[in-house]
Amino acid sequence: MSKHTISITVNRQRHQMEVPARRLLADLLREDLHLTGTKRGCETGTCGACSVLLNGELVKSCLSLAVQADGCAISTVEGLANGDHLHPLQECFMQCGGLQCGYCTPGFLMAAAALLAQNPNPTEAEIRKALNGNLCRCTGYTQIVESVMRAAQRMNAN
Amino acid sequence: MEHSTLGKDTPQVNARAKVLGRAQYAGDIKLPGMLHAKVLRSPYPHAKIVRIDTSAAAALPGVMSVLTGDDCPKSLWGGHHKERSILARDVVRFAGEEVVAIAAVSEEIARDALDLIRVEYDELPALFSPQESLTAGASNIHTGRNNIAHAIAFDKGDVDAGFSQSHLVFEQTYSTHPQYPGYLEPMATLAHIDVDGRLEVWASTQSAFLARARLASALELPVSQIRFHQATTGGGFGGKIIEDANSLVAGLLALKSRKPVRLVNTRLEDFQAACSSLPEQITLKIGMSRDGIILAKEVRIVADCGAYSGLCSEIMHVSAMRSDNMHRLSNIRCHATLAYTHNPPHGAFRGFGGSQMLFALNSHLDTMATKLGLDVVDVHLKNAIERGEVSAHGWVIGSTGLKECIAQCVESVPRARGESEAGDKKRRGWGMATAMHVSGNRTIGNWDGSTVVLKFHEDGRVLIHSGEADMGQGAATMLSQIVAHELTIPLVNVHVVAPDTDISPFCLGALASRVTIAGGNAAIVAASAAREKLLRFGAELLKVPLEQLELANGMVRSKTDPTLSKTIGELAKLHIWREGGEGIQAQGSWDAKTTMHNNLKGNVASAYSFAAQAVEVEVDTETGQVVVTKSFVSDDCGKALNPMAVHGQSNGAAAQAIGWTLYENLLIESGRLTNMDFADYTMPTADALPRLASGIVESNDPNGPYGAKGASETAILPGAPAIANAVFNAIGIRITELPITPEKVLAALRARADQMESARG
Amino acid sequence: MVDFDFLEPQTVAHASQLLAQYGEDARLIAGGTALILALRQRMLQPRQLISLTKIEKLRGITVDNAGTLRIGALTRHSEVGASETVRAHHPVLAGLARVLANPQVRNQGTFGGNLCYADPATDPPGCLLALEASITLESQHGERTLPIADFLVDYFTTAIEQDEILVAINVPASKANSNALYTRHLRTAAEHRPLVNFTSIVECEGPLCIDARIVTAASTITPVRCTQAESLLRGKTITPELVDAAAQLVETQISPISDSRGTDDYRRHIAGVVAQRNLRKAFGLENA
Repeated sequence: MSKHTISITVNRQRHQMEVPARRLLADLLREDLHLTGTKRGCETGTCGACSVLLNGELVKSCLSLAVQADGCAISTVEGLANGDHLHPLQECFMQCGGLQCGYCTPGFLMAAAALLAQNPNPTEAEIRKALNGNLCRCTGYTQIVESVMRAAQRMNAN
Repeated sequence: MEHSTLGKDTPQVNARAKVLGRAQYAGDIKLPGMLHAKVLRSPYPHAKIVRIDTSAAAALPGVMSVLTGDDCPKSLWGGHHKERSILARDVVRFAGEEVVAIAAVSEEIARDALDLIRVEYDELPALFSPQESLTAGASNIHTGRNNIAHAIAFDKGDVDAGFSQSHLVFEQTYSTHPQYPGYLEPMATLAHIDVDGRLEVWASTQSAFLARARLASALELPVSQIRFHQATTGGGFGGKIIEDANSLVAGLLALKSRKPVRLVNTRLEDFQAACSSLPEQITLKIGMSRDGIILAKEVRIVADCGAYSGLCSEIMHVSAMRSDNMHRLSNIRCHATLAYTHNPPHGAFRGFGGSQMLFALNSHLDTMATKLGLDVVDVHLKNAIERGEVSAHGWVIGSTGLKECIAQCVESVPRARGESEAGDKKRRGWGMATAMHVSGNRTIGNWDGSTVVLKFHEDGRVLIHSGEADMGQGAATMLSQIVAHELTIPLVNVHVVAPDTDISPFCLGALASRVTIAGGNAAIVAASAAREKLLRFGAELLKVPLEQLELANGMVRSKTDPTLSKTIGELAKLHIWREGGEGIQAQGSWDAKTTMHNNLKGNVASAYSFAAQAVEVEVDTETGQVVVTKSFVSDDCGKALNPMAVHGQSNGAAAQAIGWTLYENLLIESGRLTNMDFADYTMPTADALPRLASGIVESNDPNGPYGAKGASETAILPGAPAIANAVFNAIGIRITELPITPEKVLAALRARADQMESARG
Repeated sequence: MVDFDFLEPQTVAHASQLLAQYGEDARLIAGGTALILALRQRMLQPRQLISLTKIEKLRGITVDNAGTLRIGALTRHSEVGASETVRAHHPVLAGLARVLANPQVRNQGTFGGNLCYADPATDPPGCLLALEASITLESQHGERTLPIADFLVDYFTTAIEQDEILVAINVPASKANSNALYTRHLRTAAEHRPLVNFTSIVECEGPLCIDARIVTAASTITPVRCTQAESLLRGKTITPELVDAAAQLVETQISPISDSRGTDDYRRHIAGVVAQRNLRKAFGLENA
């Protein structure tokens, strides 16, 4: 039915594109912009694998229509690293075993990035609360929490 | 060995791709002209398909293919029994069974088309429990066979004499509920016909070769006509072996449409399409001496495999037999029955039938220890089988660190009991449990081996070809560590090629905790062969006798004159550029020195891993809530090749066990799943778990690579009973039916209060 | 999702007009956290989706001269939680908005959308009832204000008219010496929707309870103001026994829903426990 021309900035790059009204933001990223780092893991907005930052705030891109993001700036996991220079969160997830199968990882990285932007020194309990919109089935979360804590330390030291 | 990472915390070799969002899962891969598939599933647990009208769907612009059971090959697929059509023919046997498959130019159009299909069903009476389906006169779920999918019976020693010699004989029935694997990546497949007319598939799988064999048989193609790639796989937990129809439906659509077709399960579908773990009712009768020695054991199991039996026969074998081998037993008797019902199929799940039985067994030992006034820890220690012993089923115990595992747990989680700091309404309790698992299992056929092929680039870097699957557990990292260690090169100089049936050597894949022991040993053999080639060629080039050469720091060099050396890169290049030259390739195979079961006896696995877990819980006596406040799992993995990965497996296993025990309750009402989404089927989130901790015990198995055994499955096994035992310790209530819900705890507390009231009255 | 038109009116009047024009085929969308789930599962199949995000009037958090807090319907939960104004005037509401659901939903979902969805298993409605909040509805024909109790009619049903738009939530000033306490109970730690929640707003002079407004929600189809328990407490010297009796009244007064997340008996029992724990804390009888 209705199609919309939207203007959207993704990972600092501007795009102008036509999307059908029913296009999910997650599908716009994955199918139209080929940014498949953002994952889809459920239909109920529960798993958090599709989490991205929308104007700096953590959202689930499967709960948003692409048209709703018109005029917004979006950051996905592909935008976290600076070229080959990994974001401290990415480094720490690797080094602390904060990932196994990796499917939830982009969502966790974005959720952790949103947390550290708001609260650079979170406690373990705060980290666990801040990540409760994301599911991981592999790690039992211990090493994810460690990854976030270590990244926070590293970011604060710089 | 400055470069060796063996025994050191090592980030996964594919972690960088994963944190960058570059790893390609099957649902991320696109081909030009690719179609998107959707599946229409049966809403009825049992019905005759009277008519299917697909005309409106087929007429929808953008729809390219609409298939029904009539379009499927005659061959049926399945595990123990070949009994299932890719798309249902004539009859549906569970709610969720695949009936119509559609491929269209977009996912939304395919979904729109589903709404246009009209299926006329004639609903038939359905059987929802083994009790119903095993009743005399119950109708047969599969034509020509009764409703017993499998039965196991054995009687060893003299069980009755054992019971009569016992100081305490105790019998109790336990029941376990199904658990959905819950991997974050729903099943996905991309299939197309390649330029040569072969079927090429990328899928999320735990075993590329078993998946290909199944696909070939179901599509009536020779295996050689299929090229099966394992895409990056977002978790498996047993659910992505060969029991789901995802790759079959995608393959059929590609074959019929002659177009690339991608089928990605929605989560809703995945709940219906994937097998959840096998629910079992277990009656356990154990006789013990006054000091806690098990003198006789009798087990009765009734399990519900659902409409199709998949791997459930093998799973029930594990429930029936495996835990016998962790104890020194002589008198054991078992009768186990696997029944068909019209419930959604159950199947393989991490632990493969171990969790069910170990819930019963550990709960039972705890109860009996209490009744005998013994410390349950002593009961476990006294009965534990030792290294060098042969179990009642003929298993040769080459290594066991169970006692050390128990010691670690007892030390790490202090035995707290009584009121919590949060007030007298909350009671604290402590519980522990033990477990055993296999590393490999000679059951699929008379081979439990693995092959690794190493191919050297001209710059000296090495490609590792193996068909063993990494679904997140770290197989690729393990293989890389071993090859890099053996060739004395940095980890970054080796690269594991994802399983591809055209390129990788035949392997069985990630099941039965076999990858480290089988793939790891094969990697050592292959690397040794490569080292041999490098040294021989080095001797030729350097004109130094072979015995005076060594491979060190990535070069072949003289032991006496270090200036005489050639790097692996130089050797690899020169090995080609000479008369009669070739690129360096080496291959190594390894097969387990095990035997297939003969009359339910035989040493089926190269090694056996053990684990123990202790937990502290807090039970809110007013709300019935159970919260795990401390958890420590200790895994005897033989030797931790990558401790960080082992801890990750153990903590993840503990979380999954806690989920099964307290949070996850798959509701099946009259054969229909009613909570098939993550909002209602609640897996643990970060704030629903304590800081899970784990320990490693290295018992150095003689058959393991560097002593290593499987790690990960064992660690999921003791969680549920440890929690149940801790709940008993906290409030004196024994929960014998999982899950432990607040409602059950409250009801039990209330029943006890009523009982005490009436006793007083 | 079935295909639809996406419309973005700039004014309430225009939105209302569109609603009137398309009738049952149209649906309003604010944050979309609940609606998109329903669309994706095709439980709802609107032909027109009318987005409210361009209507400035639905935004903002202000306080009028009488001290009434006005929360624009489009205000997201995270904005309510972070708002200095809300924290100053009704900290209980800000606190609730900071724990509701999960961070993503708090950043996407709106306060107005939450109320219009009328899902019992959520946080704000019960608390707003205890705060005696009202809501402002507007259509092309005018504006009306309804007490929240009259707005929430039934399970997933509100008193909103077909062409009306929820514009704002109004929360009257609290008395200087009153204390509000919100408690949510999750069935298990892995569930993130409250099984039961309970709000108490009590006014005391020493041990004497001058006034109490108490509401239990989430296990009943709509939030329930526990008037019997309020009467029992009002004007009395607070003792543990009195609080227990009030909690007992909460338990008996309600008719809980019964579903896969809990039977009515279980929910009733938990409602009593949560009431007791909340009231004990509210009246300073214990910390728990």
